[in-house]
Amino acid sequence: MSGSERNVLALDAATDDVVVGIARGGRMLREASIAPSAGERPRHSTALLAEIEAAVEAGGGWSRVGRIGIGIGPGSYTGLRIGIATGRSLAQARGIPAVGIPTLTALALGIAARAGDPSRLCLAVADARRAEVFAQLHDGSGAPITGPAVLDPARLGDWLADAGGSAVADADEPPLSAGSGAVRFRRELDAARVETLADGDPAHRLAARHLCLLAASGEAGSPERILPVYLREPDARRWLERDNRTT
Amino acid sequence: MKAAGVILAIETSCDDTCAAVVDGPRVLANVVSSQAEFHASYGGVVPEVASRHHLELLNPVVDAALAQAGVGLGEIDSMAVTRGPGLIGALLVGVSGAKALAAARRLPLAGVDHLQGHVAASFLEPDPLEPPFLCLVASGGHTLLAAVEDHDGFETIGQTLDDAAGEALDKAARLLGLGFPGGPAIERAARDGYPEAFELPVAMARDPGLDFSFSGLKTALVYRARELGDAGVAERRADLAASFQAAVVGQLTAKLERALDGGEWPAVSLGGGVAANGPLRERAAAICAERGARLKLVAPELCTDNAAMIASAARFAEAAPYPEYLGWDART
Ligand SMILES: [Zn+2]
Repeated sequence: MSGSERNVLALDAATDDVVVGIARGGRMLREASIAPSAGERPRHSTALLAEIEAAVEAGGGWSRVGRIGIGIGPGSYTGLRIGIATGRSLAQARGIPAVGIPTLTALALGIAARAGDPSRLCLAVADARRAEVFAQLHDGSGAPITGPAVLDPARLGDWLADAGGSAVADADEPPLSAGSGAVRFRRELDAARVETLADGDPAHRLAARHLCLLAASGEAGSPERILPVYLREPDARRWLERDNRTT
Repeated sequence: MKAAGVILAIETSCDDTCAAVVDGPRVLANVVSSQAEFHASYGGVVPEVASRHHLELLNPVVDAALAQAGVGLGEIDSMAVTRGPGLIGALLVGVSGAKALAAARRLPLAGVDHLQGHVAASFLEPDPLEPPFLCLVASGGHTLLAAVEDHDGFETIGQTLDDAAGEALDKAARLLGLGFPGGPAIERAARDGYPEAFELPVAMARDPGLDFSFSGLKTALVYRARELGDAGVAERRADLAASFQAAVVGQLTAKLERALDGGEWPAVSLGGGVAANGPLRERAAAICAERGARLKLVAPELCTDNAAMIASAARFAEAAPYPEYLGWDART
């Protein structure tokens, strides 16, 4: 039975890490999380595709890949686009269906595993730059309670009370948070009565096995349906002023 | 190894999402999804807006090019992609997509310089031009005078020191309330105006070198407009447009003329978006006729940014075999 089972390939480039995994029947065949070198920019464009090819190889080649899960953010705009352009094009070239994976929900699965308590709320918080965070609240199984939001970390408490509703009001314990935004805005999270995992805890980083888990259960379809979640309109004037032409 | 056979190329360096299929000098498909309307309201290209549109359009544009060429991915022999120069975020969408398409099919991939692409547009049908020739590329992103001795390279003998010619036209059009892109808008408005109505600086056209400069021209236009006031600008819009266009065309063709006289050039190629300008074409034709040089006007669809020109450049470039290109970045 497992001989005919197809592999699930999953990738995400919405955080600073390049995260790639391949699974068969819930068992990880290879997983990698490639962080930028200290002081360097993320390695999305240089490391992602080579790691995908290595994962596919570990799973027995492209003919064994049954679906591709692609991280859709929210997260770094450039990384997000590299990940989606790569995943969609692979799916297009191999005629493989694709599944969009909400990046913060994959992160929340790691928090839920760390909490080990099905009643504990899990808050995934990614650094959104410009002194803002991307945040999304999940239940103890990692299922979303709110949609993803972009906000000023000083407003986290109000947002939780508002968007989290009775789930937050009735909870016995404060939500448990992790992610790059949680590390950076620990003080704001404290003020919002959210507990944050210790710096350096692995749950702050996205894990390939959680991408594969969501990719396996999501609805697979045409790769063109995989769309990024930006949560912000392009600030035209700002971008016009610092036109980043490379010449 | 050279990129050979049927080539699928992708170009996303600025605001057009492009894919093309080329077989030798023959263009089988050349699909351009222009974003001009999205950028019009800003009077210029907004990089983040461009990158978002590229991501939306990339795979559909590749599909459309394959369908138009009547080939499947299985019939593609090599791929090509623009690696730079251009907007970094925009380039990365095309580079990521091209790398993934090529890798999944184990195809070789050629990384092409965008300007080499503009030069290589002349190698495509109809009427392919063979080196040696002088190539003037003038667009919103570049103003370049190239000496083309071979298929796989060129020597820059003149370039802009500040704004590109098309960029200057865009800025002038914005100042005159004529819309975006500026080139066609200025040309339209200029038809009812007198090119000598306003005296604009010609210092750069008289400069003995081959480089270009358009920022002084723009500043001069700003001063004229300020003197005239809003009502005056509205009244003299056609004359202002005609005078500005004449100054831009005058500088481009003065340098072209000087370059032609500096060597033995049997032919001239005119490319880039600004090459569609009527007065520029007329003046260049006269200059070439006087010297017995052939003038090649690159077809309009190969003048503006497109992927067929990238495939054309790839025909004469080294292509990296799988898996050498997996770690490629955009070239900055
Ligand atoms: Zn160009």
